[in-house]
Amino acid sequence: MTLIRRYWLSALAIIFSGIVFLVPFSFIILMAFKDRTQAQLLDFSWPQGMHLWSNIVEVVTTRNWMLLTAFINSTILTVASVTLLVIFAAMVGFVLQRRKTRFNGLIEFLILAGLMIPPAVVPTIWLLQGIGLFGKLHGMVLVEIAYSLPFSILLYRAFIATIPREMDEAAIIDGARPLDVFFRIVLPLLWPVTVTNIVVQSVAIFNDFTNPLYYLPGNANATVQLTLYNFQSQFQTSYNLLFTNIALITIPPLIVFLFFNRQIVAGMTAGAVKG
Amino acid sequence: MTKTSRRTTLFGFTAALLAMTALSSAASAQSISMTYLIPSGADGVAVAEELVKSFEAANPDINIDIETRPGGSEGDNLVKTRLATQSMADIFRYNSGSLFQAINPQQFLVDLTNEPWQADVQASFKQVVTAPDGTVRGAPMGAAMGGGIYYNRAIYEELGLTVPKTWAEFMANNEKIKAAGKVAVIQTYGDTWTSQLFVLADFYNVSAADPDFASRYTANEAKFATEPAALRGFEKLQETFEAGLFNEDFGAAKYDDGLRMVAAGEGAHYPMLTFATTAIAASYPDMLDNVGFFAQPGDDAASNGLTVWMPDGIYIPQTTSNLDAAKKFVAFVASVEGCEAQTRAGGASGPYLINGCTLPDDVPPAVTDMLPYFAEGGQNGPALEFLSPIKGPALEQITVEVGSGIRTAADAAALYDEDVRKQAQQLALPGW
Repeated sequence: MTLIRRYWLSALAIIFSGIVFLVPFSFIILMAFKDRTQAQLLDFSWPQGMHLWSNIVEVVTTRNWMLLTAFINSTILTVASVTLLVIFAAMVGFVLQRRKTRFNGLIEFLILAGLMIPPAVVPTIWLLQGIGLFGKLHGMVLVEIAYSLPFSILLYRAFIATIPREMDEAAIIDGARPLDVFFRIVLPLLWPVTVTNIVVQSVAIFNDFTNPLYYLPGNANATVQLTLYNFQSQFQTSYNLLFTNIALITIPPLIVFLFFNRQIVAGMTAGAVKG
Repeated sequence: MTKTSRRTTLFGFTAALLAMTALSSAASAQSISMTYLIPSGADGVAVAEELVKSFEAANPDINIDIETRPGGSEGDNLVKTRLATQSMADIFRYNSGSLFQAINPQQFLVDLTNEPWQADVQASFKQVVTAPDGTVRGAPMGAAMGGGIYYNRAIYEELGLTVPKTWAEFMANNEKIKAAGKVAVIQTYGDTWTSQLFVLADFYNVSAADPDFASRYTANEAKFATEPAALRGFEKLQETFEAGLFNEDFGAAKYDDGLRMVAAGEGAHYPMLTFATTAIAASYPDMLDNVGFFAQPGDDAASNGLTVWMPDGIYIPQTTSNLDAAKKFVAFVASVEGCEAQTRAGGASGPYLINGCTLPDDVPPAVTDMLPYFAEGGQNGPALEFLSPIKGPALEQITVEVGSGIRTAADAAALYDEDVRKQAQQLALPGW
């Protein structure tokens, strides 16, 4: 009895989150097993026959193995953008927090402006064309960094305020140069907020649809979200292939998160002095 | 770890990142490489792949890469963006008619008026890819479509019905189907655009009664609410609702449900454009022979004819660096071999607009039913959106209201005339 009284709320929460997460996911998986005629009903039913393998083969080989290219591109895009984003945002946040100058107000205004003012597509393309980066993956990496930087800087700046200045001073007294102070003292201490940044930004960048659509034209540059359009059009959609594709591109990030789950949770709950 | 080695690792890592991003954009070299941008979707891609394959077999020195884009308004934005930033593919497929006018053809597209193959393109298509200065800037891609009513042949056979030539016959058929306990008319307002068909597909009947309607309509002289012939489209929708002929879930059903219902015999009639034939062939191949098609009947059997929608065009942007090769490809698409390649890939969904193109003998009944309207002695005419630049954006919401019994036909026609006024004023047409 006491067990029920003590844990009923937790159990309710678990059941509720199970419904919210597992029902849509099982719908995707069930759809991936169906053939086209049954999938067209779009209902929650048990698949007639086993079509998963033929669906997977068709999805992966469509448009000359486009999905594989897309996975490579999306992985490079996400890893490169998030890595550079973390380093740059932490640096900006550190300097902005530690060094008070008369430009701070202006810089903070620019960061907030980056967060609030929606980016315009056509001028951005003109700029990319001007510096020869339009339709190139490294140009796209820079665009993603630029769009995500303000949010990351805000996260870092707030966190760095909680690290005592005395730590930097102690390091400097022990003979550390400025870059050493940042990379060897401060950056390891930022691990909790770095993990938050990595999780939030890699999900956002991996799932980005519109930016690659406009800034990365061409088949060689496809990202995984763009492959969904191989099976979906205005007047004709192959739901079985569409959902197989969704399952295929949802599972890798899911595995990565399951695998790194312990590190992520540990990072988020870690104390201030660590490393 | 020493200080230097840690720094080396960091630099190494950065260098590796840069190298990875740089490597992935390596281009393959061939004598001429072009890109061809099409709307996404398995059917369109299959047709494009077959066209490119046949073309490359004939021109081994040219290599064409197919790119896809979303359809709908996202696709419109993308096409406009890529034209404006001079990054458009060498050849692209896009709508003809009023959407073609909206991408500013005079400024962005190559003039194809004097190409030799234009002689074989039917005049009805040329007029929908003609820029305001009178130059033709596109070639037809795909088959002509009709707007009318799909019907289930099994139900017709079972109840001994014949294809109606007048609206009265159509309603009589509906009553018999309803009396037999079946759904007579399928409506799918879950996809609101499907609600417009009764009004849009009635346009052949409007122009049969009033040949000048389109030009007077553009000049703000004729109105849907005041011309009895034009008002009939709205009235027909209201009549079918009031007779209680619709499927029970007409408010929530989707376009895909409508196709399934008419193919499987869950309903007898589904008003739709004939591009749906390819979708039925892909999703329900074994039921395809159950589906027939007829034009939306008017009030007079003698003037029974089909309202026709023009297919997409293919265009060459002025920014292309391979103009000659691109023109070669367009010429191929607009040739008899081009039609044959399209038929091989997608099956035929209707007659082509190139002289000399024929359809194979084994086309589905829904396509066969369409052919008499195009043959000698048959009657067809273009839909209003190809004759007039005005199409109100809210028509689909208005027809949903009529089809759900919320608004009367006369009231809806008046509201639509008001909706159209805004667009005519935006286009700065004279007389508005």
